[in-house]
Amino acid sequence: MKIKKNGEIRTAYFYISPLLTIILLFILIPIVGTFINSLYRDISYLPSRFTGFTNYAELIKLSDFWNSLKFTTLFTAVSVSLETILGISFALLLKEVFTGRSFLRTILLIPWAIPTAISARLWQLMYNYNYGLLNYFLDITHTGAKVNWLGTVHGAFWAITIADVWKTTPFMTLILLAGLQTIPDELYEQAMVDNASMWKRFLYITLPLLRPALVVALIFRTADALRIFDLVYVLTGGGPAGSTRTISILGFHYFVNGDFGTGSAVSIIIFLLVFIFSLFYIKAGRFKETL
Amino acid sequence: MKEVYVKKILIVIGSVFFTLFVLIPVIWMLFVSFTRDLGFLQGGGVNLTLSNYINIISNKNLHMLDYLKNSIIISTITSFLVIFITGFGAYAITRFNFPGKFTIPLMMLAISIFPQISIAGYLFKIESNLRLINTYPALIFPYTAWTAPLALWILISYFSQIPRELDEAALVDGASRKNILLKIIFPLSTPGLISAFLIVFIACINELLFALLLTTDYRAQTISVGITLFQGLHGEIPWGELMASASLVTVPLIILTLFLQKYIISGLTRGGVKG
Amino acid sequence: MRILYPFILSLLSFITSCSRPRELTFMVGGSPNELLYWEKVIGEFHEKTGINVKLIRQPTDTDQRRQGIVIALRSKSRDPDVFLMDVVWVGAIASSGWLEPLDSYIERDNLDLNKFFSRVVDEVDRYRGNVMALPVYVDGGLLYYRKDLLRKYGYTNPPETWEELLQIAKKVQARERQKNKNFWGFVWQGAMYEGLICTFLEFSSSFGGGIATDSTGRIVVNIPQNVEALQFMQDLIHTYKISPPNTYTELKEEEVRLIFDEGNALLERNWPYAWGLHEKNPELKNKVGITKLPHKKGKRSASTLGGWHIGISRFSDVKNEAWEFVKFVTSYEKQRDFALNLGWNPGRVDVYADTVIEKTAPHLVLLKDVFENAVARPSLPYYSGVSQILQKHLNSALSLSETPQEALQNAQNEIDEFIKKYED
Repeated sequence: MKIKKNGEIRTAYFYISPLLTIILLFILIPIVGTFINSLYRDISYLPSRFTGFTNYAELIKLSDFWNSLKFTTLFTAVSVSLETILGISFALLLKEVFTGRSFLRTILLIPWAIPTAISARLWQLMYNYNYGLLNYFLDITHTGAKVNWLGTVHGAFWAITIADVWKTTPFMTLILLAGLQTIPDELYEQAMVDNASMWKRFLYITLPLLRPALVVALIFRTADALRIFDLVYVLTGGGPAGSTRTISILGFHYFVNGDFGTGSAVSIIIFLLVFIFSLFYIKAGRFKETL
Repeated sequence: MKEVYVKKILIVIGSVFFTLFVLIPVIWMLFVSFTRDLGFLQGGGVNLTLSNYINIISNKNLHMLDYLKNSIIISTITSFLVIFITGFGAYAITRFNFPGKFTIPLMMLAISIFPQISIAGYLFKIESNLRLINTYPALIFPYTAWTAPLALWILISYFSQIPRELDEAALVDGASRKNILLKIIFPLSTPGLISAFLIVFIACINELLFALLLTTDYRAQTISVGITLFQGLHGEIPWGELMASASLVTVPLIILTLFLQKYIISGLTRGGVKG
Repeated sequence: MRILYPFILSLLSFITSCSRPRELTFMVGGSPNELLYWEKVIGEFHEKTGINVKLIRQPTDTDQRRQGIVIALRSKSRDPDVFLMDVVWVGAIASSGWLEPLDSYIERDNLDLNKFFSRVVDEVDRYRGNVMALPVYVDGGLLYYRKDLLRKYGYTNPPETWEELLQIAKKVQARERQKNKNFWGFVWQGAMYEGLICTFLEFSSSFGGGIATDSTGRIVVNIPQNVEALQFMQDLIHTYKISPPNTYTELKEEEVRLIFDEGNALLERNWPYAWGLHEKNPELKNKVGITKLPHKKGKRSASTLGGWHIGISRFSDVKNEAWEFVKFVTSYEKQRDFALNLGWNPGRVDVYADTVIEKTAPHLVLLKDVFENAVARPSLPYYSGVSQILQKHLNSALSLSETPQEALQNAQNEIDEFIKKYED
């Protein structure tokens, strides 16, 4: 039996080695490499030299950096909250049985299926000052002057948030719907017998039992929002006046301007931020049990 | 009873809102793709035309078809690669006992939320030195590594549902592990494989950051980059043509999604919800 | 693993098929008519020399063009072999060691450098004494005006001072607005991109200020004349309202040109390229005039030196062929063709004396003077970083998020900090 076990272990490693190799080569080594790179002054037109944590020290002094962090966290908080509220609402809606439900369930995934770059361009058009759909509605319903969506700091913030919420609510809705479906109907029936109102049922049965799914969805979305790049790059490029520069875009700018050292430092900082979240994610989701 | 009423109203309002919410942007995109000039909102007439589509397909310089070709090839190769690699990995994790059986999936989970920017810079350096920049492998390798974690989890949850007795029985009959995986497990978990394939495929088409940094021209750039950089035939953005390109990509993707929905949904939700 | 076998094979064949055949790749961006013309040029080059050139098309946006070139060069890629660079990047790209020095080729083929604008070559193309690039065309900001509208409202000449411009634009806009809601007095580029620096440089220099490098190498932007100029730019949008509110969010070269082209502007600040396009517009033919930009009373008019230069990648595998292309593009005939067809101002001075040019594009002769005296942006390796800092604050002042004083003060501080880091 022992021989079989050893053979098993060898086979197991053999089977898992391609996976591990590719992760090692294309994720783990780059992370380490990026960290090492961040310790150097690495600028394309200057000789490179080891500078230790200088890149980090200088980053912390830059107001640009803190503004980036602030914007990123604010954006994360707002958009994740909105997605959650909408997600729960839609999930509740889709759980009910009614005609047309299958139609709704079918179209749910559409925003998710559209490539981010495309949906960003689409929203860019809708936000256009002159030709945009949104300003058109504002105009014809006389609810106010045309908004310069992408031109003002506040406008841009909401522009990005709304576009992001549109794209990711389906994902939230799905996870929450799956969670809702694990709640036994008997609990509701019991509560109705006890004359509990809809609102009470929601508060005391649905929410608590939805918590595991909610936690999973929340943490996943939070990590995604923190590292957002595609949408912002296309919609505003970090403007106006750098106000919507998320931390990923900040890093990208450094890279493209030839400063790989600082760009790497920014990358590592984002990595640490999100990594802490991922540990949280694993703990809260209690994934070990699934295995 | 009052509650039934309230519920009905909520359902109606909810459904309408939901439908509008999801569909308005898409319908708008399609509509604009058929117009020649956007002034119609300000009172100009609406000119419906196919010229946008014709232009972007026939104008070689826009490279739209190149971008599409690249995206499809890269995404397909990546998806197949991922299925194979994670298929074997998931099998090992669900069937064997070995050190790392628990930590590896958990580590993969942590990796699935790594910010791409953290890897992109160094990846650029490695690929520059290997002269891989602006080639298909430049994107295939990172994409494979980056989508593998999610695929792994999807397959793990499917494989673990297949009773081990099946394996044992086949082993007793003298089958090799490899054959068990390929001839028994894979066919039984086809829904899972399709889910994983689709999710990886869509993720690759979606991806922007790596594509921006690791490719430089139409010979390897993907449709995401193409659409992002589309300033086409005017410094000012040609919305009609842009939306036409967008529709060309989106409509097939939407149709794909609509048909294979249930796979995608079960794939996403299985890995996400406990138990 | 029999199933994997064919799969691995096809993967390998993909990888190996990615080694490119030797061909000359030329990376360039620009507006649509320019790109179309480049295709013609490539065809003519092929006919003349038999060398095949592959055109790698870039977006119109300058920053994205730079991004594309920098990423390719930094990865030491063999493509592109030859490319166009904005006047302000030549310094950075040269000092990063990405350009092939041209002196040996110039000597070998006896190219006479004096045929080009010597100031431009010396200030932009030379790095450590070596010539790293050659000018394809030079540019300078100009004032476009509607001759017919000026005449209609009783003005014989375009404004020479900002004070005049204000007065004329306000009056014409008010009247024209009665029929055309979308009419603006003066349109210019104010979005947050490199173009904003060009515009600002013109405004500030014409107020007696500018972006200067002092004797210690420090870049100075925070001077009272600049504050005054920035205030004026801000007022154009928000106080006098003769420039549209999306000036600082969306207006770049093409957006501005289109507004003027559609008949919705009296005055336009733009590069010379717009001239040809306006003239081709049947609605505007013979109604458009160009002149120097206005200045503050008592000061001098200023025009920012722009233009694009051509260089060869140091990592190119077909350098000789690339050099042939460079020679072709900077030849007398081609330079003249660029001028006649695209309205570009040749980097070669001798073309300006050409008789055909004098007849068909007399305005070019007028402009030669402007270009010889244009104001250049600092040519530094880290210019793009400085530019981004300045862009940010200028744009923020235009959007009323900062006052002009704050904007320039903050910009100055950040620039000083920035330079400390990027100077060796």
